[in-house]
Amino acid sequence: MITANERLIKILSGKKVDRPACICPGGMMNMVTKSLQDVCGVYLPEAHTDARMMADLAKAIVDEKCFENYGVPFCMTVEAEGLGAACTMGTQFFEPHVTGYAIDTVEDYGKLTPMDLESGRAKVTLDAIRILKAETSDYPIIGNVVGPVSVASSVCEPTRYYKQLRQKRELAHEYMQFVTDEIIRFAVAEVEAGADVIALSDPSGTGEILGPKFFDEYAVTYINQVVDAVRAAGAKIIVHICGQMKSVYDKVAKINSDAFSFDAVVSLREARNNLPGKAIMGNVSTFAIEMQDESTVEKLTRACYSNGSDIISPACGLGMGSELRNVQAVLRTVETFAE
Amino acid sequence: MASKEELLQKMSDYVFEMEDEEISDVCEEYIEAGYDPLDGILHGLVDGMNRASDMYDQEEYFVTDLLLCSDAMYAGLDVLRPHLPEDASMGEQKKAVIGVVEGDTHDIGKNLVKIMMETAGFEMYDLGRDVPLDSFVEKAKEVDADLIMMSTLMTTTMPGMKEVIQKLKDQGIRDSVKVMVGGSPISMKYAEDIGADGYSRNAVEAVEVAKKLCGITD
Repeated sequence: MITANERLIKILSGKKVDRPACICPGGMMNMVTKSLQDVCGVYLPEAHTDARMMADLAKAIVDEKCFENYGVPFCMTVEAEGLGAACTMGTQFFEPHVTGYAIDTVEDYGKLTPMDLESGRAKVTLDAIRILKAETSDYPIIGNVVGPVSVASSVCEPTRYYKQLRQKRELAHEYMQFVTDEIIRFAVAEVEAGADVIALSDPSGTGEILGPKFFDEYAVTYINQVVDAVRAAGAKIIVHICGQMKSVYDKVAKINSDAFSFDAVVSLREARNNLPGKAIMGNVSTFAIEMQDESTVEKLTRACYSNGSDIISPACGLGMGSELRNVQAVLRTVETFAE
Repeated sequence: MASKEELLQKMSDYVFEMEDEEISDVCEEYIEAGYDPLDGILHGLVDGMNRASDMYDQEEYFVTDLLLCSDAMYAGLDVLRPHLPEDASMGEQKKAVIGVVEGDTHDIGKNLVKIMMETAGFEMYDLGRDVPLDSFVEKAKEVDADLIMMSTLMTTTMPGMKEVIQKLKDQGIRDSVKVMVGGSPISMKYAEDIGADGYSRNAVEAVEVAKKLCGITD
């Protein structure tokens, strides 16, 4: 019988399998809920800073039949904090988030120091991957990274940053290259620690924010550098694109990832037509998972399947208040699709 | 010497074309010629910002463009505002409290909504980001706000919006203030479910919804 890991890797290699995979990567695509924390007795925010707890909470996702993958970390702040931004670890309900920027203008990027992968939460994340690699099998381990524009706008004050993308292009590119090199170091370290797949989300670098021209110039260019480095390191890579796609389909098509994941606003059927030859992942509404019932979640899961989703997943991060049974309804439904 | 109309057109163009340096000079020239500063704001600067909004609606301008246009508008306002007579008013201004709910610090969208609301003549009280839920209620009471506007970019912080609405009910002031919500994970359906009065997909649309909720007609 095919394992969940083999299935996902085959899908990401463009091969046919018995049914879609059902995953939630972690990172921006949060899969830890309050109810999951209660069931396994491992809690946030502590698990953000303790490798053993992080690994145990990741294992609970599989043990509680939520999704067919392990994934760490559970937030979008590891890179930004590693590069000097001030962060709070949040609570049981709130994710960690940036509270203070390391620099106020792109001009100061030379003051930033590289991330230390041997300390802090970068190390916690890498250690958690090593624990999962040593103690589990059959399910894919997903290492998450934050995309270049989102890291750049979490380290530098974002209003200034976005304006400088237009006004100081040469400098902005130097800064983006610095940030991207750091993301690549972290992503490759995740692969070396044992991650089978890397998932990248760049919610602050959307077509809606940047417009097609700058989406191409900044988001696509630097995301592709991460994609190429991850593939060279021997892992697969999923890129999650936030927001509306209509103005940027042709630009997204230039991203070399093994799969694309989309927001709930995107029609998977339309995405499939616009991005031939790519695995498509998505996009059960997280709003429905949190606010509605199992039968609605089941219906939406079936709709993803009939629209041709290769990897069925929530469309965004899960709300912390989502009931376990609603989350579990996604995988339970996907299992019935086996041929 | 340039006519009033020529200068107003230039001011509008400079906002529209994101020229945040040249705009100060043309505003100075306008004031030195003795023209009305309020007209300069409304028919020059705000006109340029409105043209930028139209381009945003047509997906020709994007968030970064609007931020740069607003820089030019504010640079112009810095010149014109001190020349407004003491008793000049922009008409009766509606008051709105705005902020990003607790747990989230992404405020680009919120900042843009604030800019567009100010352009439309609202008096804005910006609580910033990662705002404790009680602060929305307290500020709305303090300034006797017509509108509360909340945003978030993270799924995990959406429930805070519902809690603010509940707090307004608990304090007996839900009926005296309108509530609008927005942010990328928010939908019309979510807004309805939590009992908000309005939702918009973007900053330009937010102004239209806000005007409607406050009974303002163009």
